[in-house]
Amino acid sequence: MSRTFVEMAGRRLSLSNLEKDLYPSYGFTKAHVLEYYRRAAPFILPHLKGRALTFKRYPEGVEKDFFFEKRCPSHRPAWVKTAEIPQDNGERMTFCLINDLETLMWAENLASLELHVPLARADSPETPDSMVFDLDPGEQADILECARVALILRDLLSRVGLASYVKTSGKKGLHVYVPLDRKGTTFEDTKTFSKAVAGIMQKHYPDLVTAKMAKKERNAKVFINWSQNDASKTMVCVYSLRAREKPMVSFPLEWRELENQSTSGDPERLQVTHSEALSRAEKKGDLFREVLVKEQKLPHL
Amino acid sequence: MAGTTIWKGYIHFGDTDVPVKLHTAVREERIQFHLLHRRDRVRLRQQMVCAYEKQPVPSEEQSKGFEVEDGKYVIVDPAELEQTALESSRMIEVHEFVKTVQIDPVFFDRLYYLEPDIQGKGFNTLVKALKELDVAGICTWIMRKRSYFGALQARGKMLRLNTLRYADEVIPVGSLELQDVSLSEKELKIGSELIEKLTAPFEPRKFENEHQKKLQDMIEKKARGEKIAILQPRRLKPTESDQLLQALEASLKKAA
Amino acid sequence: MAVQGIWSGTISFSLVAIPVRLVKAIEPGRISFRLLHSKDYSPLARRMFCPEEETMVPPDEIIRGYEIVPDKYILMTDEELESVSPERSRTIEIVEFIDMKEVDPVYYDHPYYLVPSKGGEKAYRLLAEAMHRINKAGLAKFVLAEREYLVAITSRDGALAVTTLHYSDEILSDEDFSPKKGKIAAEEQSRMKKSIEQMIEDFEPKKYADERRKKLMHLLAAKAKEKPLVEAPAVEEEEGEAPGDLVAALEESMRKVKEKR
Repeated sequence: MSRTFVEMAGRRLSLSNLEKDLYPSYGFTKAHVLEYYRRAAPFILPHLKGRALTFKRYPEGVEKDFFFEKRCPSHRPAWVKTAEIPQDNGERMTFCLINDLETLMWAENLASLELHVPLARADSPETPDSMVFDLDPGEQADILECARVALILRDLLSRVGLASYVKTSGKKGLHVYVPLDRKGTTFEDTKTFSKAVAGIMQKHYPDLVTAKMAKKERNAKVFINWSQNDASKTMVCVYSLRAREKPMVSFPLEWRELENQSTSGDPERLQVTHSEALSRAEKKGDLFREVLVKEQKLPHL
Repeated sequence: MAGTTIWKGYIHFGDTDVPVKLHTAVREERIQFHLLHRRDRVRLRQQMVCAYEKQPVPSEEQSKGFEVEDGKYVIVDPAELEQTALESSRMIEVHEFVKTVQIDPVFFDRLYYLEPDIQGKGFNTLVKALKELDVAGICTWIMRKRSYFGALQARGKMLRLNTLRYADEVIPVGSLELQDVSLSEKELKIGSELIEKLTAPFEPRKFENEHQKKLQDMIEKKARGEKIAILQPRRLKPTESDQLLQALEASLKKAA
Repeated sequence: MAVQGIWSGTISFSLVAIPVRLVKAIEPGRISFRLLHSKDYSPLARRMFCPEEETMVPPDEIIRGYEIVPDKYILMTDEELESVSPERSRTIEIVEFIDMKEVDPVYYDHPYYLVPSKGGEKAYRLLAEAMHRINKAGLAKFVLAEREYLVAITSRDGALAVTTLHYSDEILSDEDFSPKKGKIAAEEQSRMKKSIEQMIEDFEPKKYADERRKKLMHLLAAKAKEKPLVEAPAVEEEEGEAPGDLVAALEESMRKVKEKR
């Protein structure tokens, strides 16, 4: 095992196996992953800050064993911040918080290619600061169908006074986020609201949308997974890499872009790679910033 | 009174093979309570209940799942789990020896007494050698299809096998994030003197499980229909930092 | 035997009292599974069930009882249980100090750490440093979750560690297994010693891994790749109609959306 030491903000970090190929068919090593996250840091950190992190670790690369880790590894540097969150079974679990670049680098050194976070912050785990519509295409559908659904959803939401923002999942789907007022809304509220919306969408577009999870319902339709609005669920963080064959990114898109591309017939054009993600973000800034700062209240509840 | 032989194996390193039998060393005693339904005093049973149907589910309808992503599982069946079981072997393989003092007690898990399985086969020689060199043998073995890691130690005329916890299971002191606090030499000196004064030889037989006795008493009292006094837990007033030296000096006086 | 839950209270020696919290020192590495309903993969939870009334019983209807004769119980409330050893349930009182070398490892049960609560940092450090300086450990008794433990308080890298100990009447005798006395040939003895000496290293527990755990993780990762993962049905069947107002507003909104498209 090879080791390099770096110094960051007065803290010493040990990085190992930088030459390890984590995306073998593409040729993306751990050093590349670290470099991606270092450059993505100004964009991703505000979305990670203060949230209980779930690691998805691929120490031997995307083609081998992975570890889904919620508990903050006990062998962590003393400066890694943590939070204790009560779990479903009553137990309190210690989670890592990625609040700064050093902690992000430490997490990536553990080959946590994907970073997943809850919709609520650790200091208020029952009150989400966004409502999410996780658009998941069935076997015979793809991101273009999701784009159609996302656009209808955006219209529907805006007509009840809610602004929404969309990002790619980095895999086949799209995520639509509705920012909320920080501590005023509970998961019960967002679950009720999103379930109602999903129901209406299914009712009016039955060939395109389903609000039911059962796999047999899904095939050529887009499943609106409203049940993600839950304290125990996590979503992949915006700007996170995905562990697919290629290092794709969960990247925010402009609604205009979705409108243009949805009729193009080419699903690849909505997928964003690591290099594209960095150049776009560095040029246009964080398109998902509004999700953090905008405060909205859910109407009619 | 003896524990039962729970396993047989042989210690192996280099040219040495010592057959042994493992015995448990500890038997815990405690008063058992049952959970009852307040209404009718019926003893409750534990059931696995389906979160959605809110009905008990019999074991034939239960599957073992491993959570891979939020709410998403890989199902494992008993046959597959069996495949991951390790090949049984009777060998307790010693990989190295370390100075006993290097093993921090936090690693010690469960202790087994070892009895020579066949008399005269190197047991006594091994005991003597371990004692003279003051070392423990670090070994691994497979027992009941699970892998174990442990320390082979001598005490008196006996050999013991102490299972150890794996390194990644021990939480390092660093993660406690303790503050750095400065102490005066005077405080340390008096503190050390006080501790020295309060030091006594370790005599475990002095200590009995009094709580168990009191609990037994309370149960018997209730059975006789007597009233029980409810006493509040005592809380001590914490010593303020600026009072620390004073408290230490007063304690030292008291101990003298 | 491991104990659940976090305890907070005071640790004291003579006239010094330090506010502290008890935290875990061990994180078991065992892979844990969730039991799921084979039918629809919804997660199962442990609940207490009354066989007479054939219903689930919520925690506030549960009481603890001690069976004095078959089927006859003496009930104990939480309050009563807590009051058995009131002086010990919130305080770890160190009654004497010992040399840890005198403690036979057979006594060790389970380790924990203590961390100082606000205001106790200095006294905590003092105890840790002083014990370290003269290489001593504290011996105390305390009550946790209705059980009384004999504990050793040791100093470890500037922190206070608590190790529960077994009582001497819980330790079984090893007299019966005493090896027979026999002469040990000097040559055999020196050969054994040499053999051992050649294998002396420094203790590095990181070198050893749980092989069973590794095999299991490997199996799980392989399975996760080959088949789609199963998931529990969403809480669709759950009670709660969407609020009428909301549905009406959404319907109205949808009408407008469709008009435009």
